[in-house]
Amino acid sequence: MAQTEDQPKVGPTALGKLVLFLFVLACLGGAAFYFRDLIAPGGRDGSQQVDLDQFQRVEAQDTQGITTVNEYQYVPGEKLPPVKGVSAYKWDPQQKVVNFPINVWIGWLPIVAANGGFAPNPESIFAKKHGFQVNLRLIDDPVVARDAFASGDSHVLWGTLDMMVLFAPDLMKDSRSAPRIYQQVDWSSGGDGIVIRGNIGSVADLKGKTIVYAQNSPSQYFINNLLLNAGVQPSDVNHKYTATAFEAAAAFVADRSIDACVSWAPDIYNIPDKVTGTRILTTTAEANKLIADVWAARADFANDHPEIIKGLVAGIFDGMDRLKDPAQREMAYQWMADGYGMQADEVRAMAQDAHSTNFGENKAFFLNANDPANFERTWKNVTFVYRELGLIDTPVRFDEVMDFSIIQELDRAGTFAHQKDESRSTFAPTSYKKVAAESPILTQTIRINFYPNSANVFEPEHDEMGKPIPNTLYDPSVAATLEKVARLVGQYERAVVAVVGHTDSSMRGKGTRYEDVKGLSMDRADAVRQALVKKYDFDPNKFTIEGMAWDEPANPDDPSNHALNRRVEISVYPPEAK
Amino acid sequence: MTTEAPQSVHSGLLRIREKLPAWKTWLLGLVPVVVLLGVWTLATTGAAEERMISPTILPSPGEVVASFGQLWFDRALTRNLGVSLTRVVEGFLLAFAVSFPLGLLMGAFTKVKAAFTPLTVFGAYLPIPTLVPLTLSLFGTGELQKVMFLALAFSIYLVPLFVAAVDTVDDTYLKTAYTLGATRWDAVRRVLLPVAWPDIWQAMRLGFGVGWSYILLAEMVDVGRGLGGIIITSQRRGPREHIYLVLVIIVAVAFLTDKLWAAAGRWLFPYRDQKR
Repeated sequence: MAQTEDQPKVGPTALGKLVLFLFVLACLGGAAFYFRDLIAPGGRDGSQQVDLDQFQRVEAQDTQGITTVNEYQYVPGEKLPPVKGVSAYKWDPQQKVVNFPINVWIGWLPIVAANGGFAPNPESIFAKKHGFQVNLRLIDDPVVARDAFASGDSHVLWGTLDMMVLFAPDLMKDSRSAPRIYQQVDWSSGGDGIVIRGNIGSVADLKGKTIVYAQNSPSQYFINNLLLNAGVQPSDVNHKYTATAFEAAAAFVADRSIDACVSWAPDIYNIPDKVTGTRILTTTAEANKLIADVWAARADFANDHPEIIKGLVAGIFDGMDRLKDPAQREMAYQWMADGYGMQADEVRAMAQDAHSTNFGENKAFFLNANDPANFERTWKNVTFVYRELGLIDTPVRFDEVMDFSIIQELDRAGTFAHQKDESRSTFAPTSYKKVAAESPILTQTIRINFYPNSANVFEPEHDEMGKPIPNTLYDPSVAATLEKVARLVGQYERAVVAVVGHTDSSMRGKGTRYEDVKGLSMDRADAVRQALVKKYDFDPNKFTIEGMAWDEPANPDDPSNHALNRRVEISVYPPEAK
Repeated sequence: MTTEAPQSVHSGLLRIREKLPAWKTWLLGLVPVVVLLGVWTLATTGAAEERMISPTILPSPGEVVASFGQLWFDRALTRNLGVSLTRVVEGFLLAFAVSFPLGLLMGAFTKVKAAFTPLTVFGAYLPIPTLVPLTLSLFGTGELQKVMFLALAFSIYLVPLFVAAVDTVDDTYLKTAYTLGATRWDAVRRVLLPVAWPDIWQAMRLGFGVGWSYILLAEMVDVGRGLGGIIITSQRRGPREHIYLVLVIIVAVAFLTDKLWAAAGRWLFPYRDQKR
């Protein structure tokens, strides 16, 4: 109805309307602000603080530490999730061709050698000795490889152990496509690395810098593990992600505002050659027991064809034997080059990027519970890193995917007894002074609470009369602390490690001789070394020890913080050039 | 005078250019969606091992919906949506700033058209994904690269449509203008452009949707923020549910913005849909 002059105006005035409008707007704005975490939550993007004390800490499971080889006692089949339903992979029982995808990586050379090329053929070791054939297919994209595995198109999945940690929770939603890991193929040994720009001396200097790398790849594990080991919060570093390591290298070269990249060979070696002002910070040549390449079989396939799985494992070990012959090795390079569409020279140039793990090394990896870089520790370490970064919610236990039954069976049969563990680096004795002349890759402070004037890491508690109480520990977390160190030291298998002991300065100027204090700090460092060597069977020469007495307080601003100063510091140095 | 659509002489279920009431249009549109959901449910119901399609490939609709909370909170859906939306809008504005004058000039002046046509033809057949590494080395890894990549993709799409919009303006209008003493500039500004605007707007509307189809490529570098980032990381480490959810969300957002474009078009150019 049209409003007429004589009708009184009903409702608010223009000003009133404006006020009302602003009021409603303010209410909406206020509500939006109040519920901002509900409307636009920040998400879990890995920027939260990581509890560095918890890093690498495990349940102290074995405090005796008297054996160096301690085999797992359980039966894998009892821990692995049972396969339900009808098998769902493609299989022709007449042809018997196993689809085994691989990526462009020199580590697959043994299986290429065993198979005599990529195509399935009756001349392969697999066909001749085990009665099935293998079809090696190049699937470089891990997502595609994973999907081919999940759909049953591939029977096998390639990957590093850190990738398996990320893939496993999803793959295990279907018990048939659950991954079963039977064999380690290699350790990345120079194939992955970190290139830096400008004056970055050690990992600690990466604080506040920008790093680019391929997300959800070994690069991500490598750099974050490194940061955590160096006591740097991953959130203190600006992370940029790419889809592949190749793109990370390209981005680093293109964008000068990026301080570091994690990538693969040959990029990590080409960049310092071509781009001035860049150099390699560290590679898996030092952290040579960090990134493990393995293969997994579908659980349903493994269940149905245990003999084929055994044949695959044995065939790959046979391939390693074949590669010992230079002529066979050359042939394998050529086959690999044909499969990848590369030149044989290019493949030969990659030979240094990986260290094939033979039977002896697989035994250590899967079976030796005390090996500092075994499957369990590597898996738990990856899980910790990725869970802390918020990348996985419900991690899979290591024994839900690890199946060492075939390695164990081959061990009993003695088939590959001649393949001894070759991976152990040897060290010449060296002095701390000589080692410390170089800058360390990373330094980690560990705190073992020593009993006053004692250098015994396993010192028991003492009663009020000063008598030791049996079956107690002055520092109850010593086993966990040593475990943490052992894992770090184990990952940097080829690096030299300096153990430096420190004391507090509570007796300074009170008649205590400096030499005695220095001796005590040295003894503490040595005690840590001895404990590590004893339990984890490290080469004693890998460590060099030093005692700093009270000379280097942990916090120079507060030198009288005695608790903070009773400490041991571990530094990882690059191996000496031979 | 308006011309009515010819009355259908046929009877039966399907009649050529039949007029439908709105409810029927909606109902018919709903049928394929329901069928698709039904097939999806059918293929993904039951224990993981008994399904037609394993949950490691395709989760069930229920599982997808159930993971929405996680996507919203843990993966900051709204913030990432905001990030992607900003990129699309920025890329679009940038592309428009370049393609609009270029398209107009090409449509108006045959010599300009002759000069740039080979480039636009080249662009039309260019596989856009190959531009990712190029933009990477030209613009770095930051926001600029994503916006520039989208701008390139937009431009390649928009320029030919803009040209066509100007091109198809009827000669009668120009002749009338010239008779009335219009200059060259007048002809462009007061004849070609106003007549072409509705078509240009339509091109912009279609082009804006193109941005969403390239968002995944744009966000491949410096993965992390944005809807593309969520898809890429979900592909690698799961959950798979999020991939499908984000796909649905992208389509929903693209649909919604398309409706907004259409509404704005009706408001700006009411004469476009008028029967002449």
